[in-house]
Amino acid sequence: MNVDLFLHLWIMILIYIIFAMSLNLEVGYTGLFNFGHVAFFGVGAYTSALLTLHQVPFELALVAALIVAGFSGFLLSIPSLKLRGDYFGIATLGFGEIIRMVFQNEVWLTKGPMGLPGIPKPVLFSYRFATLPQYLLLTIGFTILTFLVLRFVTRSPMGRVFKAIREDEVSTAALGKNIFHFKIKSFVIGSVFAGLAGTLWGHYTTFISPGDFTLLETILVLLIVVLGGKGTEWGPIWGAIVLIFFQESLRFLKLPAEWTRYLAPLQQMIFGSLLIFLMIYRPEGLIRGKGGR
Amino acid sequence: MSFLLQSIFNGLLAGCIYALFAMGLTLIYGVLNFVNFAHGELIMWGAYFLYLFMGTPFGFPLPIALIPALFFTILLGIGMDRFAFKPIRQANRLTLLIAALGLSFLLRNGAQLFWGAELRTYGFEIKRGWRILNMSITINQMAIIITTLICIVIVYLLFHRSKLGKSMRAVSDNLELARVSGINTKKAIQFAWILSSALACVGGILLALDTNLQPGMGLINLVKAFAATLLGGVGNLWGALLGGIIIGLAENLGVLVISTGYKDAIAFGIMVILLLLRPPVLYGTQE
Amino acid sequence: MKKIIYCLFILIGISLFLTPAPKAQDTYKVGAAIALSGSIAVYGEGFKKAIDLAAEEINGKGGMKGKKIEIVYEDNKSTPKDCVTAVRKLITVDKVPVIIGPAASSNFMATAPVAQESKVVMLSAQGAAPALTKAGEYIFRVFPSDVLQGKGISDLCLQLKYMEVPIMYVNNDWGLGLKNVFVENFKKAGGKVTDEIPYDEKKTDYRTELIRATKGNPKAVVNLTYIVEGSVMFKQAYEMGINTQWICGSAAKAPKLVELAGKTVEGIIGTYPVFSQETKEYQAFRALWTKKYGDAKIPIFGEYNYDMVILIGKAIEKGGYTSDGIRKALFEVAKGYRGVTGDKTFDQDRGVGSEYGVWTVKDGQIIDYKK
Repeated sequence: MNVDLFLHLWIMILIYIIFAMSLNLEVGYTGLFNFGHVAFFGVGAYTSALLTLHQVPFELALVAALIVAGFSGFLLSIPSLKLRGDYFGIATLGFGEIIRMVFQNEVWLTKGPMGLPGIPKPVLFSYRFATLPQYLLLTIGFTILTFLVLRFVTRSPMGRVFKAIREDEVSTAALGKNIFHFKIKSFVIGSVFAGLAGTLWGHYTTFISPGDFTLLETILVLLIVVLGGKGTEWGPIWGAIVLIFFQESLRFLKLPAEWTRYLAPLQQMIFGSLLIFLMIYRPEGLIRGKGGR
Repeated sequence: MSFLLQSIFNGLLAGCIYALFAMGLTLIYGVLNFVNFAHGELIMWGAYFLYLFMGTPFGFPLPIALIPALFFTILLGIGMDRFAFKPIRQANRLTLLIAALGLSFLLRNGAQLFWGAELRTYGFEIKRGWRILNMSITINQMAIIITTLICIVIVYLLFHRSKLGKSMRAVSDNLELARVSGINTKKAIQFAWILSSALACVGGILLALDTNLQPGMGLINLVKAFAATLLGGVGNLWGALLGGIIIGLAENLGVLVISTGYKDAIAFGIMVILLLLRPPVLYGTQE
Repeated sequence: MKKIIYCLFILIGISLFLTPAPKAQDTYKVGAAIALSGSIAVYGEGFKKAIDLAAEEINGKGGMKGKKIEIVYEDNKSTPKDCVTAVRKLITVDKVPVIIGPAASSNFMATAPVAQESKVVMLSAQGAAPALTKAGEYIFRVFPSDVLQGKGISDLCLQLKYMEVPIMYVNNDWGLGLKNVFVENFKKAGGKVTDEIPYDEKKTDYRTELIRATKGNPKAVVNLTYIVEGSVMFKQAYEMGINTQWICGSAAKAPKLVELAGKTVEGIIGTYPVFSQETKEYQAFRALWTKKYGDAKIPIFGEYNYDMVILIGKAIEKGGYTSDGIRKALFEVAKGYRGVTGDKTFDQDRGVGSEYGVWTVKDGQIIDYKK
C-alpha cells in the first residue's frame, strides 16, 4: 500500500475541487462561460509564490494572492462582460492566453520560462504544513471553507439573482436588477477562489512556470464542472474526484519507459472525447441540476 | 538587407496564410453560424497528412501526395460535422463551442500521439533566397503567395458563379428560408465543409512549408484566423483576405517595437479589442 | 446517489492499492530522471547509452559489494514540471537515495529544491548554469560551471578581433546565466555588446529574432543555442541570406545539430569545456563504447554521464546505500579521481573545474578550431 501516493492523489483532488467550485459559480450558476479561468489560478499561484520567496509570511501572501486574483478578475470582467455568450468565452480565452504570455515574458518579475523553484511550505500561525499528511489537512480545511462560503453565496439572495441571470437575462433586467453588477460580483468571487486553488497548488508542487497555466488547465477544469454537473453543489466535487483520480494515477503508473510518451496525449484525447460525448448525450453531467434551487 | 522591407514582406506572407485560414473559418461561421474551434486542427492535420504521404512508406512527391492529403482532410472535416456537430446543431452556441474545444483537444493530441511533440519538417533542400529589392525571398515563399492568390480566385468563382455557391449564400442568409425555398441545404452545408477543409489543408501545408510542423500549430493559428474573420466581417471572403493581411503585417511590424515574445499576443490582442469594439454581426456574403 | 457513494469507496480502495509495496532490494537502485521524450530527447537518448555503458561496466566488475547497480529510468518529458514529477516519483515511489538529474539547467534547477528537501543526492552531468548547485549540499555537478565558459567565449571574440557583437540566447537559466557572464567579461575587456536578444525555446520560426540580430550587418553574432532551436535558426538564417560568423557555446557542439542543419552550420565556431582525448582513461572509454555501440558517434555529454555513474558506483561502495553515506563518499572518491573528462575533484560548491577549447564545423564534421 503506497500511502504517499494516496495522500498525493487526495491533495490534488481537493485543490481541483476548489478550482472547479470557483468556475462552477461563474459557469454553472451565473451562466458566464469563462474560458480564461486558469489565468486567475496562475495569478494566485505567482503572487503567493513570489511573496513567500521574498520572505513574506504565508498568511499575508495568501491574502495578497486572493486580493490580486480577485482584482484581476474585476479588471478583466469590466470590458468583457459586455459581450454575449460565446463571444465572452472567446474573449476570456484570449485574456487567459495573454496573461500566460505576460508570465512568460516579464522575466524580471516571474523569471519567465525558468519558473519559480523552491516555493516554501505554508506556515499558518506558526504551524508549518510540510509533510504530506499535514498538507492534506490544510487542503481539507480550505476546501471545506470554500464549499461553505460558496454554498452560502449561491443560497443567498445574490445567488438567486445569479441563477435568474443564467436562466433569462432579459427578464431579470426587466425586474430592475443591474445585471452587469451581479455578473461582476460572480466573476470576482470566482476569481478569488481560483486564486486560492492556485496558491495551494503552487506551494504543494514547489515549482511553477508559465507552462502550467495553459488552455489545457482551463479545459480540464471546465470538463470537471461539466462532467460533475454544472450548477450543482456537489457536481464539481464528483467531477474532480473522477477526473483528477484518473489523471494523477496515470501519471504515477509504472510503465516501461518507451510507453510514457504515449500516455499524456492518450489521456488528453480521452478528455477531449469526453467533452464531446457529454455535450451530445448528457450536457447536464453526472448529477442533474435541480431547477430553482 | 532592409530591415523594414523584409518585415513588411514577412507580414504579407504570413497574412496570405492567415487569409486562407480565415476564409475557411468564415465559411462555416457564415453558413452554420458558429465558430469552429477545431478549425485549427484541420489546418494542422492537413499539413501532417501531406507529411504522412510524402514520407515512408508512401514516399510520394509533393504534387502527388497533395491529393490524398486533401482527400483525408476533407474527410476529417465532414466527419467532424457528422459526428460532433450535427447531433447538437440545435443546441445553444455554448454547447457547440465546448464540443468544438473538446474536438480540437482530441485532434491535437491525436497528432501528438502519432508524431510526437517535436518539430518536423518536410525535408526540402534548404536554398538561399533570391535578393529582390534588398529583401530575401525564397522559392517557397513565392509559392505561398501564388497559391494563395489562386485559391482566392477559385473560391470566389465557386462562391459567386456556381449554383452550389448560391445555395451556400442562401443558407448563410437564412437557413429556414433557404430550406423552404427548396434549396438543398444539406448539400450546401456539406459543400461548405468540403471547401473549408480544403482551404485549411492548403493553408496548413503552406504554413508548414514556411515554418515546419508541430501538433500545437493549430490553436494559435485558429485565433489569428478568428481575428482576421472579425476584422473582415463574418462571412465576407474578401474581408477575410484583408483581415489576414492586416494581422500578418501587424504582427511582423509590431515586433519591431515590442518584445518578440509577445508576437502571438498581438493577434490575441487585436481579437479582444475587436470583440469589445465591434461585436460581430453577420454581414452575409455581400461585399 | 447510493450508487455514487459505492463507487467512491471503490475508488478509495483502488487508490490504496495502486502500487504494490516495494520488494526486498536485490539491486542497488539509482534513479535517473532523463528526457526520453520532448525537445531534449535528442540529447537524452545519448545520455541513456552512456549511463547504460557505465552501469554495465560496474556490474561487469562484480557490482558494489557484490550487488549490482540498477538504473531506474523515469521520463522527464523535457519540461520543468514533468521533471519535478519524475524526480518526486523516484523519491516517493522508488525510494532511491541518489538520482541522476535532468539535463538543461532550468529543468535541473526546478527539481533541485525537491531533492534537497527530501535529502536525496542528485547529480548533473550537463548543467552549466553557475547557480546550479545552490539549492543545497545534496546537489552535485560533474560538468563545469559556465562562469568559465562565459569568459572563454569572450576571449574567443576578442582573439578573433570581433569587438562589437550582438548576442542571442535561449531565454532560460542556462542562456541567461551564460549571457550575463559573457557580457560581464566582454565589457571588462573593452568589447561592446550591441544588442541582447532572448528567444523562446521550441519555436518554429525565428526570423524576427534573426532580423533584429543582424540589423546593421555585424561581422559576428554570439548565439547561445541548443540543438533543435539552433537547427531552425541556422537554416532560416541561410535562407534569408544572412552572412555572419556565428559563435556558439557548448550546447551546440553536437553531431545531431550538423545532422539536422546540414550545410547551414558549416563554419560556425564555439567553445566547450575541454578534456584531452589522449589520456588512457579516454582511450579505455572509447574502446568500451565501440565494443558496445560500434560506429555510433559518442554523443554530446556522453563522457560526463559515464564519469558520473562510475562515481556514483564508487560512492555507494564506499559510503553505503544511503543518501548521507553517498553524499560524504562522493567527495572522497572524487578527490583526485581522473575520469574520462579529467579531474573530477569536487570543490566546496560541489562543482568541478575545466579548461575551455574551441570547436568548429568543417565539411560536416565537428573538429577543433585552429586559427
